[in-house]
Amino acid sequence: MSAPAHPRFEVVIGLEVHTQLRTESKLFSPAPVSYGLPPNHSVHPICLALPGVLPTLNARAVELAIRAALATHCKVHPRSIFARKNYFYPDLPKGYQISQYEDPIATGGWIEVALEEGGEARTKRVGLTRIHMEEDAGKSIHDAAATGDSSQIDLNRAGVPLLEIVSEPDLRSPAEAAAYLRTLRQILRYIEVSDADLEKGHFRCDANVSLRRPGQSALGTRTELKNLNSFRFVEMALEAEIERQAGVLERGGRVQQATMAFDPNTRRTRVLRLKENADDYRYFPDPDLIPLMLSEQQIDRVRASLPELAEQKCARFVREFGLSEYDARQLTASRAFADFFEQAAAAHGTPKTVANWMLRDLREALSARECEIDATPVSAASFAALLGLVDSGRLTAKSARELVGVLVADGGSPEELMRARGLEAVADTGVLEAAVAAVISENAENAERYRSGDEKILNFLMGQVMRRTGGKASPAAVRELLSRKLAGKPS
Amino acid sequence: MGAVFDSLSELSQKLASREVSSLELVGAALARADATQSTLHAFVGLRPANARAEAEQSDARRRRGEPRSPLDGIPIAIKDNMVQTGEPTTCASRILEGFVSPYTATAVARLEHAGAVVIGRTNMDEFAMGSSTEHSSSGPTRNPWRLASTPGGSSGGSAAAVAAGIVPAALGSDTGGSIRQPASFCGVVGIKPTYGRVSRWGLVAFASSLDQIGVFTRSARDAASLLERISGHDPSDSTSIPEPAPELASALDGDVSGLVVGLPRECFVAEGVDPGVLAAVEGAVAELERAGAKVREVSLPHTRHAIATYYLIATAEASSNLARYDGVRYGRRASGARNLTEMYERTRSEGFGEEVKRRILLGTYVLSAGYYDAYYRKAQQVRTLLRGDFERAFGACDVIVTPTCPEVAFDLGAKTSDPLAMYLSDIYTVSANLAGIPGLSIPCGLVRGLPVGLQLLGPALGEAVLLRMADAFERRTPHQARRPEGFP
Amino acid sequence: MARITRDEVEKVAALARLSLGDEAAERMASELDQILEYAWSLSQVDTSDVEPTAHAIPLPTPLREDRAAPPLDPELAVANAPEREGSAFVVPKVIEGDEEG
Ligand SMILES: [Mg+2]
Ligand SMILES: [Zn+2]
Repeated sequence: MSAPAHPRFEVVIGLEVHTQLRTESKLFSPAPVSYGLPPNHSVHPICLALPGVLPTLNARAVELAIRAALATHCKVHPRSIFARKNYFYPDLPKGYQISQYEDPIATGGWIEVALEEGGEARTKRVGLTRIHMEEDAGKSIHDAAATGDSSQIDLNRAGVPLLEIVSEPDLRSPAEAAAYLRTLRQILRYIEVSDADLEKGHFRCDANVSLRRPGQSALGTRTELKNLNSFRFVEMALEAEIERQAGVLERGGRVQQATMAFDPNTRRTRVLRLKENADDYRYFPDPDLIPLMLSEQQIDRVRASLPELAEQKCARFVREFGLSEYDARQLTASRAFADFFEQAAAAHGTPKTVANWMLRDLREALSARECEIDATPVSAASFAALLGLVDSGRLTAKSARELVGVLVADGGSPEELMRARGLEAVADTGVLEAAVAAVISENAENAERYRSGDEKILNFLMGQVMRRTGGKASPAAVRELLSRKLAGKPS
Repeated sequence: MGAVFDSLSELSQKLASREVSSLELVGAALARADATQSTLHAFVGLRPANARAEAEQSDARRRRGEPRSPLDGIPIAIKDNMVQTGEPTTCASRILEGFVSPYTATAVARLEHAGAVVIGRTNMDEFAMGSSTEHSSSGPTRNPWRLASTPGGSSGGSAAAVAAGIVPAALGSDTGGSIRQPASFCGVVGIKPTYGRVSRWGLVAFASSLDQIGVFTRSARDAASLLERISGHDPSDSTSIPEPAPELASALDGDVSGLVVGLPRECFVAEGVDPGVLAAVEGAVAELERAGAKVREVSLPHTRHAIATYYLIATAEASSNLARYDGVRYGRRASGARNLTEMYERTRSEGFGEEVKRRILLGTYVLSAGYYDAYYRKAQQVRTLLRGDFERAFGACDVIVTPTCPEVAFDLGAKTSDPLAMYLSDIYTVSANLAGIPGLSIPCGLVRGLPVGLQLLGPALGEAVLLRMADAFERRTPHQARRPEGFP
Repeated sequence: MARITRDEVEKVAALARLSLGDEAAERMASELDQILEYAWSLSQVDTSDVEPTAHAIPLPTPLREDRAAPPLDPELAVANAPEREGSAFVVPKVIEGDEEG
């Protein structure tokens, strides 16, 4: 049992995620899916809801939705229906959003979420209520300075395909909620359903949260936190809202059903609007669209194209490469990182060594540059070659570490980089012997202490030799030669 | 020079033999539209310059011996709810004032592709909501047979333009009878094809599951050749039937022997049917029998619920389809609003007419929480039963025959103050839209000097059999050749 | 059956973003009531176990290949706008909380 999120209440959280599907064109329009263009530069008459336009369903979006459903153990339904959700808002050009309502494409799945508490790792299975497809709205720009008493409307995003993924109210703390979101995002990226780029708003979250007394089975009144677009925000907002609700309940009050907004500056939530006069969206099946019928074969074809998921890959790495569970999980955190590992391990030959270098040095270099492995010029082959230079003693670990940073930044051949930077280990015995002889004669006193049994002094002497060779000597070679010379043996 | 009431094939021949040029035909059509505008008011807008330019291009093609089709150079009219690139479309509504379309409806594009020349947009009930063409922001259209009467609606402008000899053919749309009822009132042929036969891309939606584009002509043969042109699968419309355009004109062999005509007993005992209309329809049935058709009684028990079913479904869909008219991206925006909600409410309240508002309110109500099941879902279920009625009936007959309307053209203003009475005039037509089947109206007589329409209904994709029967009927009777007086 | 009241007409009008004057609201209430009373006749039809029909003609699901078409010329996209600023549509200020939930 994990540490409770609140000492006196049980916290119940369910999440709704909207993730943007990776398609070229919009869900019901051939307009391109774009980012960062000036307003209304990526629209088609359909996106503008001009009189007379009609929607046509994007085949790729359907395939990606099925992918996501299968990867999360959902049941894909042979028949699903697009409905109209009617409401007025200027970024909603038709006056309705086409979304799946009563008959979504998939229901009833789960994902396995890895949690870590007090250094103890465990996993939790979080249920998924449903997955459905819908179109995104446009953007209202309310920059007061720029537009005064008006808002600007940009419909570039209107109609972009989204997947809405609704979890069961299975989450019990803000930390669990954040872990769930990280895992879900990882899955969606793994199976290439979504880039789930948080910065670009590809992955957005609404959270429903309620409190109840321990042992109470009925759910408390919940509030909804809207548009939490980073994992840290989700945690902070949930913590704030839990505090607020607990305060209300402890004062003997009642939580009112409401949509809340989180202000990261004050770290407080506030009521955006009460749900008393519940919205009446007048959902009904969209008469412009035929029900989406999927055959068993269509679903099987998508199943066959599913890549190995992180969970499966992790288990295989433990099995095939003898890695620890912990290392395997780190290596499989992103598909690109895992693929890099497999390629480098194959080229190098010792997976464990590759894993160590990747998890320490490569990861450090990546995080220093704040980038992901597939966004850098370093290839698995060159990384393996670099480690090969270390193995053969031509490159010291210290120099290799330096070169990892260079590879991540600029790429290139490790061999050439080593030479160009004069990092090749001193393998010339003449040079090394001269350095050892010089160190021994300059440190006659210490040499004597070594000979009289103080073996710890060897490290100091080694350091002196390394300094003379500019760190380019192989420590093993230096140790060997130094101890031989001190013992007075001939070379 | 083409005669005013020439058929499409006659005009086509005259163009081919250079007896007449497209520019002359188009010029004459524009002149007649202008000359009748103050009396009939069949058009919302004409496009004289563009139409003449297109006619000249057509003539050039003919001179090069490269006509695009037999329709090349022939003037036609389209209802003001079909968009055409660079042209206004208003649906006879203030709310679309100033809107110019950047794209063209598929049906219109197919006619353009065939070389036909659109001379203008015809008047209609606002957003196709009405049965009299009185609910138009630009004022009512009148019936060429009697100016005090309505031409029917909502495609009243197209029906009147064809009846008055302005154009040989026009496009209309039919959601609950909006082609067949005005065809009946104006004494022309009007066909609403099977739902999905003609693309709805570019047809401004009223009720998406019921709307269908069709044609007005002065003969079944013309209807067949025009319908062939605009039919066929269109990937831009998800509800378009994935079938190529049917061959229709070649099916018109004048032979109806052996065809079984079904007479739904419910339609001939209904209250409020003009006895003159009933007599004309019975005469037509007798004529078909003489031509060799067999007649038998069929039953469509759920048609008595058709009007209620229709108005619940049509208004529900309309309430959603018309939400896009919000003054944000196009059309007319009310001025002086202080905030967004006020802008919406004023734009929509000023922009929509009474009938449209009434239907938006009704549709919003039947979809709203607590009423959905009792009204909307119930109507969709009754729709299933109604479809079943037709399926059973077409197991026993080839064509179902009814009056198109229970009456002949009524007077302007006669029903504007009684919406329910107006709705009830669609009693024979709405069922075809609910069932998605094709329906056609042809003239079958006069009552008090006004035309009576005979409605033929066929099974889904059964346009050919309807047109064959209509054509055979025309060959044997004088009705189709009658012209309104005062429009020589 | 439920009679539609003037209150309900006003609620529905607000949902549909229509503002009716006093007189219009009264009149609409009585007209809609009459129409709904007529429509209520459907309640006599036994529809137990009857599937609703949303589309009269059964069709396979049409799917469009995911290929982007060139977008509309931005100038054309906003050409019909009652009010614009550059290539954006302009509306009276959107107030937070007006948003969809
Ligand atoms: Mg939602
Ligand atoms: Zn959603």
